[in-house]
Amino acid sequence: MRFDIRYRLAFEYRNVVRHSQNELRACPLTDDHQMLLSYRVASSPMARVHGFTDYWGTRVDAYGIREPHVAVEIVAESAVETRQRPLTVASPSMAQLADPEFTDIHAEFLAPTRHTERGERTVACAAEIRARGEIDVVSLVLDIHRRVHRSVTYESGSTDIGVTPDDVLRGGRGVCQDYAHLAVALCRELGVPARYVSGYFFAADDATGAAVVGDSAEVQTHAWFEAAIPGAGWLALDPTNALAVGERHVAIGRGRDYDDVPPIRGVYAGAAAATLDAGVEMRLLSTASSSPDQPLPLHQQVQQQQ
Amino acid sequence: MEGLFTDYDTGGFFDEAHDDDGSARSHYQALIAQVGGFPPAELDRREKLRDEAFRTAGITFTVYGETEGVERTFPMDLVPRLIPADEWKTVEAGLAQRVTVLNRFLDDLYNGERAAVRDGIVPWWLIASSDGFCREAAGIPVPHGARCLVAGVDIVRDGNGDYCVLEDNLRNPSGISYVLENRQAMTRVLPKVFANHRVRPVDHYGLSLLHALQSVAPPSASDDPTVVVLTPGVFNSAYFEHAFLARQMGVELVEGRDLVVDDHTVAMRTTQGMKRVDVIYRRIDDDFLDPVVFRPDSTLGVPGLMAAARAQTVTIANAVGNGVADDKAVYAYVPDLIRYYTGEEPILPNIETYLLWEPEQRAHVLDRLDQLVIKPVAEAGGYGVVIGPKATDAELAECRAQIEADPRNYIAQEVVQLSRHPTLVDDHMEGRHIDLRPFVLCGDKVEVIPGGLTRVALTKGSLIVNSSQGGGSKDTWVLAPEDA
Amino acid sequence: MLARHAESLFWAGRHIERAESTARLLDVTYHTHLEAMAGSETASWHDLLKILHVDLAFSESERILKADVVSEFLVFDPSNPGTIRSNVTQARENLRAVRELISTEMWEAVNAFHLRLSARDLSDDVRGEPHELYAMVRTQCQALAGVASETMPRDECWNFLSLGWMLERSVMTLRLLLVRYSQLVSAGATGGFHHWVSTLKSASGSEAFRRRYRASMDPADVVAFLLMARDFPRSVLFGLQAAEKALSWIDGTSSPNTRPQRLLGRLRADVEFLDVRELLSGDLSVYLDMVEHDIRQVAESIETTYFRSTDETALHVLDPTMVWR
Repeated sequence: MRFDIRYRLAFEYRNVVRHSQNELRACPLTDDHQMLLSYRVASSPMARVHGFTDYWGTRVDAYGIREPHVAVEIVAESAVETRQRPLTVASPSMAQLADPEFTDIHAEFLAPTRHTERGERTVACAAEIRARGEIDVVSLVLDIHRRVHRSVTYESGSTDIGVTPDDVLRGGRGVCQDYAHLAVALCRELGVPARYVSGYFFAADDATGAAVVGDSAEVQTHAWFEAAIPGAGWLALDPTNALAVGERHVAIGRGRDYDDVPPIRGVYAGAAAATLDAGVEMRLLSTASSSPDQPLPLHQQVQQQQ
Repeated sequence: MEGLFTDYDTGGFFDEAHDDDGSARSHYQALIAQVGGFPPAELDRREKLRDEAFRTAGITFTVYGETEGVERTFPMDLVPRLIPADEWKTVEAGLAQRVTVLNRFLDDLYNGERAAVRDGIVPWWLIASSDGFCREAAGIPVPHGARCLVAGVDIVRDGNGDYCVLEDNLRNPSGISYVLENRQAMTRVLPKVFANHRVRPVDHYGLSLLHALQSVAPPSASDDPTVVVLTPGVFNSAYFEHAFLARQMGVELVEGRDLVVDDHTVAMRTTQGMKRVDVIYRRIDDDFLDPVVFRPDSTLGVPGLMAAARAQTVTIANAVGNGVADDKAVYAYVPDLIRYYTGEEPILPNIETYLLWEPEQRAHVLDRLDQLVIKPVAEAGGYGVVIGPKATDAELAECRAQIEADPRNYIAQEVVQLSRHPTLVDDHMEGRHIDLRPFVLCGDKVEVIPGGLTRVALTKGSLIVNSSQGGGSKDTWVLAPEDA
Repeated sequence: MLARHAESLFWAGRHIERAESTARLLDVTYHTHLEAMAGSETASWHDLLKILHVDLAFSESERILKADVVSEFLVFDPSNPGTIRSNVTQARENLRAVRELISTEMWEAVNAFHLRLSARDLSDDVRGEPHELYAMVRTQCQALAGVASETMPRDECWNFLSLGWMLERSVMTLRLLLVRYSQLVSAGATGGFHHWVSTLKSASGSEAFRRRYRASMDPADVVAFLLMARDFPRSVLFGLQAAEKALSWIDGTSSPNTRPQRLLGRLRADVEFLDVRELLSGDLSVYLDMVEHDIRQVAESIETTYFRSTDETALHVLDPTMVWR
């Protein structure tokens, strides 16, 4: 599928801000499943954007504004083509997770992080999953995926950035970041390396659930997770929507948790509280994809996977 | 032996100045003859001279409280430590080799293909789990790969007098100001003794540092790049050194609030407007450098600094993320890294080190806990170190529990019987344990400053030389070769 | 030099001068009453508060207008940010921030002064024999001036220090004159001998004045002397000229002149070429008000021209929950 994506962030400050420095992570990445066709970012007031690829392989746009201003608008526009993902046919055994080479390579995706701390409830939940006695890793991860979807009810604005997987399990409500973090925490607790993915999701469906060319959708940035399957790469799942990640998902970046791929991060000088109006407009241009054997990336993204 | 050295006892340790049979080593004979002959009153006079010299120069640690600053001096022992030319030649070559490799390793990790990890020299998990591994620094190039622009490598001499490396300090090694000030003081206090020896100078350090810093200026900088020293401010305990270095180099000593990032370039606010800055010799920890990328609550840093470094309009020295290479666990791999990158054998060996995450080594260590030194991998300044032979049973039990809970966080080392050096105690000489922190500059070339800071454990029998824990210092005289 | 350093030096100068002026004014006011030579005691203490611009703060604190209360308020009361103690502390803090730029002697002098002051029981001093305290403060401030003058090169540091010092001096003498004169007018008096003597003493100028004008105590002479004597270091004109000299050093030969230079130059010329008798035939206080206003303008323009960017407000972190949904 081909999409035009327009991500707009509009900040309004209550007072004059003299200086702000920010990092934006909004650019779709290029890999085996998707290809970035074009990208541009502009701000008002104008700022020169320094774009670079960070440690995780995510394109980052750094910009600073040093003139007095009361509002900033950032617009990142991209065109991207996504592909159907092949079904995972591998069924590696649980024992393969303990392979020292496998754990060494995936060390970063096994350790707990700020947002994927494993508290009592998370550990108990993982124990229940373990008790089902799955013998292969893919089934285990799918279990986690379904379990997370069932345990959390989506409710916009129900959680804040500091919540832990335990809090989410306790409250039973959350947003996409919470689903992804909980899934990542459960995977890691069960010895499966897992990473957090930030991206866009095209959610415009007609009654049949099909995506229609020319449709456009007002969405928000989305999040899901990927689990490392020994010998079979990463399995990408979207527990918020109970979907396998597919053509309608556009990944921006991957990391250990949200903190590695926040859409926007920054500081500003001025005695002012900010409000933000953020939105993603996605337009489906075509449902066709170039065939997998056509040459892929336009530009080489640095693959940081170890 | 006469005078101050009467009844001097080497106590079975390797003594820098005396052979095992108690006779003076050849390069110490002149010194011992001269200093040993001082009557106690004369020494007293010279000690006062030393204190006076320090006070005038303002060489003090200042501990600022709410109301008043308490100023303490870092005690300098009057007996200098001597290193003969041929010995120094080996140490110098070993240091240059080691720091060059550490730079290559860091550049490989942050700006290369991570060949040492790929080829299995260092396990990836060790890097990935190191607190010092700074992902925000990935992809930021440093001219000449000079990531450790200033390195301080702590070396000791063991019971046989062999030099070996105790630890690397690659982030913000401090102490060079004391090297220079000790030298100044010694030439005033013991001018004749000093003149009697052919001592290699150290007072060019400021110029060498400035040259090294300018040599890593970004390509876009002018021919005379602007260098600044970035300090956390007067309340920092090392502020004296920051100011000292700025003065020695003749550059501005700035705080974060003096710097501004505009359009991905760094400028300092001056009375004549903004002035572009090309190289920042920062004495602020990584975490505080840039609130956009690191701790958002940091007021010491400069917002946008990391993006500017990435845009290559400014060079930060030492580079961000060096902590991964002076991690005490990574330390254990440095000899292998030297072999890997250079194909040479390490000139200066490590101390025998045990990695506690290796089950066999851990079992071995837990068996012999009371005979080993246990160090947390991420601490500096001697904090958290447990010295087995001196620890109580309770301390050992606690240490054991900590190791079992988090083996990744500890290493164990054999106890090194640090060499001892005659040190003035009241009106006579006694042996005290010493180490050495030489300083290595890496810009477009590697330069080892002759000598370094000899730290001495002033407490009898103590092995801890850190200034924060009752250590003092000695002037270190590297003797010029006979034919030079 | 760094804008922050320049600002510290500028304020160090202002604080030292203010500490000295406060001590001098307190001393004179106190002893005038001791000698029972002046009129209403409360009035002159009130004058003192007005000269120092803290009369409102004082009355808001609901303190009683009495010698020891006012003295405490001006010497060490923590609720008054402009006490002698806080001025000395701030002078020291500012000089500590530029420790590397000033001479060791200068640093040691201000540090020793601060230590001596901290070691004293100021409350005891004020209630007992305050003259010794005030004399000590004056001597120490003058010693600082001497040490600075003898040990600091005449570079940018010196000139920013001097700029703050001299501008503050002009303001203090001006306010002394303004308040003393207004009081005289409002009391309907012609200006008694003692009134003007104490005014001159407050500016350490009675001896110099006497040498020039002998027995005269013509108000016009006093006003002329304090306002525009070229050779008296505490006259308004002297301060303005010294400040102007410092500014022109700082800006070098830069043309066109900077805003502070233009403002200060115009003001200095106006004061320099005054006709005092003509001035006295009108309302002197209106003129003095205007000069004070202009000096404050100069100080503000110095802030914006040289230190402007150092007052950047605190940093805020973008709230990440804004994109958490």
